[in-house]
Amino acid sequence: MVRHIKALIVGSGPAGLTGAIAIAETLGGGKDVIIVDEGIEPGGQLPKQTHKFFGHEGFYASVRGFEIGNLLVKKVKSLGVEIIQQATVTGIYEDVITVYDRVNNIVNEYLADYLLIATGATEKFLAFKNNTLPGVYGAGAVQTLMNQYKVLPGQSFLIIGAGNIGLIVAYQLVQAGAVVKAIVEASSKVGGYAVHANKIKRLGVPILLKHTILEAIGSDKVRGAVVAEVDDAFRPIVGTEKEFVVDSICLAVGLQPNVELVAQTGAKLVYMPELGGHIPWRDENMRTTVQNVFVAGDLSGIEEATTAMIEGYIAGYNIAQEITGKSQEEKIQKMKDELSEFRRGPFSKKVRDGLKKLNIYFPAGGYREELQNNYGPKGKLRAVIECPQPIPCNPCETSCPTGAINVGGNINGIPHIDYEKCIGCGVCVTKCPGLAIFMVQENENYSIVGIPYELLPIPSKGDKVKLLDREGKYVADGEIDHVIPNNKGKTHIVYLKVPKGLEENVRSFSYFKKPEAFVCRCEELTREEIERTIDMGITDYEELRRVLRIGMGPCGGKTCRNLTLQILAEKTGSTISDIELGAYRPPTIPTPFEAVVKSVGERMERLEGKSDE
Amino acid sequence: MSEIKKYDVCIIGGGITGTALGYFLCKLGKTSVAIFEKSYLSSGSTGRCAGGIRQQWSTRPNVRLAMRSVKLFERFKDDVGMDIEYRQGGYLVLSYNEQEAEQFERNVKMQREEGLNVEILTPKQVSEKYPYINTEGIIMATFCQTDGHANPHKAVIGYAQAIRKMGGDIYTHTEVKNVDVKNGRVTGIETSAGYFACDVVINASGPWSREVSRLFGVDLPTESYRHQILVTEPLENFFPMMAISFSGNFYMRQTQHGQFILGQGDKDEKPGINHNVTYKFEKELASKMVRIFPFLRDIRIIRHWSGMYNMSPDAQPIIGQSEKVKGYYYAVGYSGHGFMVAPAVGEALAETIVFGKALHTDISYLDLTRFEKMQIEKEKNVV
Repeated sequence: MVRHIKALIVGSGPAGLTGAIAIAETLGGGKDVIIVDEGIEPGGQLPKQTHKFFGHEGFYASVRGFEIGNLLVKKVKSLGVEIIQQATVTGIYEDVITVYDRVNNIVNEYLADYLLIATGATEKFLAFKNNTLPGVYGAGAVQTLMNQYKVLPGQSFLIIGAGNIGLIVAYQLVQAGAVVKAIVEASSKVGGYAVHANKIKRLGVPILLKHTILEAIGSDKVRGAVVAEVDDAFRPIVGTEKEFVVDSICLAVGLQPNVELVAQTGAKLVYMPELGGHIPWRDENMRTTVQNVFVAGDLSGIEEATTAMIEGYIAGYNIAQEITGKSQEEKIQKMKDELSEFRRGPFSKKVRDGLKKLNIYFPAGGYREELQNNYGPKGKLRAVIECPQPIPCNPCETSCPTGAINVGGNINGIPHIDYEKCIGCGVCVTKCPGLAIFMVQENENYSIVGIPYELLPIPSKGDKVKLLDREGKYVADGEIDHVIPNNKGKTHIVYLKVPKGLEENVRSFSYFKKPEAFVCRCEELTREEIERTIDMGITDYEELRRVLRIGMGPCGGKTCRNLTLQILAEKTGSTISDIELGAYRPPTIPTPFEAVVKSVGERMERLEGKSDE
Repeated sequence: MSEIKKYDVCIIGGGITGTALGYFLCKLGKTSVAIFEKSYLSSGSTGRCAGGIRQQWSTRPNVRLAMRSVKLFERFKDDVGMDIEYRQGGYLVLSYNEQEAEQFERNVKMQREEGLNVEILTPKQVSEKYPYINTEGIIMATFCQTDGHANPHKAVIGYAQAIRKMGGDIYTHTEVKNVDVKNGRVTGIETSAGYFACDVVINASGPWSREVSRLFGVDLPTESYRHQILVTEPLENFFPMMAISFSGNFYMRQTQHGQFILGQGDKDEKPGINHNVTYKFEKELASKMVRIFPFLRDIRIIRHWSGMYNMSPDAQPIIGQSEKVKGYYYAVGYSGHGFMVAPAVGEALAETIVFGKALHTDISYLDLTRFEKMQIEKEKNVV
C-alpha cells in the first residue's frame, strides 16, 4: 500500500527538524508530514554533542547540542509530525519512495508532494599504513560510542585533524577521562575556532601543526602511531618521524555531503570543493533543480548546526507556502537575514565563495575586528575575554545583566567589555560556549583567577594544584580559592589563588599526580591508604574492609582481596595462610532487583500481616 | 612463672556493647579494663547491622533510654573523636495495619510527653514529602527527625581507639574459655591468651550470650536468630531517613556512601547461630521493596549477608548484675537494637559498676528479675 503525504523529510538532524517545524506549523499540524531517520534516536548528530553551541540565544547558543536536539524533537512531536526511526529511504523511484523500516523488517512505499532532503554528511577517511586496524575510528564513531552509548572506545588517543570536530572530540575525550596524546594537523594553522583550540591546549594537549600520520603500529589492534612533519606540499619530511603510544586513533579530517538520494531525484549536482565536494545545485530558497525537492544543512554545503537550522526553516517555509498557497515571505526573509548575518565572518568565507558560484550572494564584514587592549582596573573582580577571532556568537553580550559586553557591529564581532559596567558576576563565564572568558582580581598578597571548568571531579576549596598557562605548561603552585558550581549549565567557575603578577598567565590547572597504585579499583583505594589503616591497628581483613570499604564495591573483592591479604601479611609479619580470608558474599555479580523479582514469577508478596513479632 | 595479669573489669565481647561500656568505664577513671574478643572487633552483630538509631519506641523506658543514646551520638565526634557518619535524617515509620496505627497514635502521645518531636503523617503527606514512595496500603506514618543512623563499625573503632588511649586493653582473637567463680564471686577468666584475674566480668557477647553465661553457671533466657540484610550499588544521596515498617516488615536506609541497606525479618527462622544467606530472602524482600520503592527496580544488589538478633522473651535487652554470682554483669538480649542504645547502656552500666547506681538513665527495668516477677511489657516496635 502506498501512503500519500504532503511532505517527506529525510533526516532528523537540525535541518530536518526545523524544516518539519516550519511546515507543520504553517499547515496547522503535522499529520501529513513524516520524517524518516536512520538513527536509533532523532536529532542526527545533536545527541552526540555534549558541548555548548555557538550562535545567538534565539538559535540555542550556550545550550549543549544534545539538549538542542531534545528541544527540537519535542517541538516536532508536539506538532504531530511522525518521526520514523531506524528507517532508511532506500530509493527515490519514478513511481514511489521506498522506506526500509529496520525495526519491522519491511519496506514501505510513500508518495510525497514535497521532499526535504537533509541527509547531512559523511566523514572523509585518510589513507595511511594499517588504517584498517581495530582502534582507528572516525570522529563520529568516537562521539557515538562515547556520548550516545556511553562507552569510551580507548584510553589514549591520537587525533588527526584540528578542525572544530577534532578539537571538540579531543575535549570530550578528556572530559570522559581518556588521555589525548596530541592533535595532528597537516596545515600550518588550526582550522577550527581558536577558542576551541585554546580550551584543549590549556589542558595540556599539544597541537602539532604541519604534521601528518604515516602509519598505525600494531598487528591485532592499534598500539601506537607514527607521525611526521610535512613540507609545504604536505609531503612527509624524512627524519622527523616520531612515535606515540596510543590505543586509538581518531580521524577528524573533514566531511562530505551525502548526495546519494538527492541525485536519485534527478536534481543536478555540481562539484564545489568550498562546500565539501559534490553538492546539489540549489537556489536561495533551498530548492534544487527539481521543482518539489528541497535540501538543507550539510547536504547543501558543509557548515554547522545553526546555519543548518536556518536553512531548514527556509526550505520548510517555502514548502509550506506552496502547499497552502499562503505567502510565508515575511518569515522566509527573516531567516534569510539571520543567515546573512551569520555568514559575514571570516570562517564563512569558503561558504560565501562556494555559494557565489551558485549565484547566491552573501555579504561579508560589518563587525568589529579589533581586540580590546585594556584589561580593566586592577584590583576589581572582573571578566577578561579572550575571544580573538570574529566568529558568529554573542551569548556574552546577551547574557550580561548590566549590558557591559557588546560584540560590535554584527554577531561576528569581537567582544569588548565596558569595565565601568562590569560587576564581576561571572555570568558570561558560564555562558560562553568557547570557555573563553575568565575572571581576574589582583589582591594585596595574591591574585584570583576564575576559570570556566567542565571536568570531573569538581575541585574543592583549599585543594593544592599546579597552575598552568594557556599552553597547559606549569607556571607555579597554587590552590583552589573557591568554586562557583553551575549545576544547570554544568560550566562551573573555579577560582584559583595565584601568585601576584601571574594573573595574566594562569588559565588552567591540574592536580599533583599522586603515585597512585590502586589496590581496590571499585572504591579507588591505594596501597598507601591500606598501609596507613593497618598502622592504626586495624589488622583483620574484615576490619579493613569495613573501615576502608575495600572489596565492598561492585566487584566484591575479586581483584583486591589477595592484594590486601599480601599487604596485611607484609605489614604484620604473618603469612597469608594465617590471615582470615573474610567472607565471600553473594551475589557474585551485581544483580538488579528487577531480575530477582522476575525469578519470583507471578506471585507477589502481600504486605499486610508479615511481621515477625 | 610470670605474675598473673589482673584487671578490675573484664568485658567479654568486642562489639558495640563491650566497647561502649569499656569507653565509659575508662572515662569514669576505671582504666583497668580489658575487652576480650574471640574474633575481630565488631565481628558479631554490630558489624552486620544496618546502623539505625531510633527513639520511636512503644514503651516509655525504652524511649528515655533511646533519647539519652541520641544525646550521646550527637556528641560522639567531639567526645570520642571519630566521625561515624552519624546523620539525623529521621525515621519514617510506615504502618500497614489499622490496629498498629491505633497503637502508633498512643505511642506518639507517650513519646511527645517524653519530649520527643514526632509527626503523624497521612499517606497523602507521605507521598508529597517522599514522591518516590508508593503509598499503596499505607494507613499512616510517623516521623521523628532526630532519629537517624551511623556506621556501626566506625563507632566500635572509635570507642576502641579511645579506650586504648585512656589505658584500657583490647585483646582480639582471644576467646574466653572459662570463668573462675569462688564462693559465689567472680575471681578471674581463662582465655586462649592465658589467665586474667579480675573482680568484675561483663557478658557483652551478643549472639553467644547464653553460652557465655553458662560459664558462670547462670542461665539467661536468650536465643539467637538469624536476620538477613543486603546492600545495593551506590546512588547519589537523596534518601535521608530510615524507612521502616513493623507491619510491613522491612527497613531501608541510604548510607553516606550512597548505597541502600535493606532487610526484613523472617518469622520462620529457627534459633541458632547461622551466618548463611538464602535466596528466598532476596526474592521476598526484592518483590516487596520494588513495589514500595519503585526506583529500586533497576538498581543492582551487590552484597547479601546475615547477622544475629539475640532475642529476649520480651524483645528488650537484659541488663544488670547477677544475684547468684557476685561480680557478674550482663548486657545481652538486645533483640536487634543493641547498636542504637549502646552509648546510653554503656554509660548507665559503667555508672552502676563504679558508683553502684546509674545516674543518667534508669536501666533497672531491664534487669533479669523481671521475668521472674512476670513484669513484662513486650516491646512492639521491632522488625
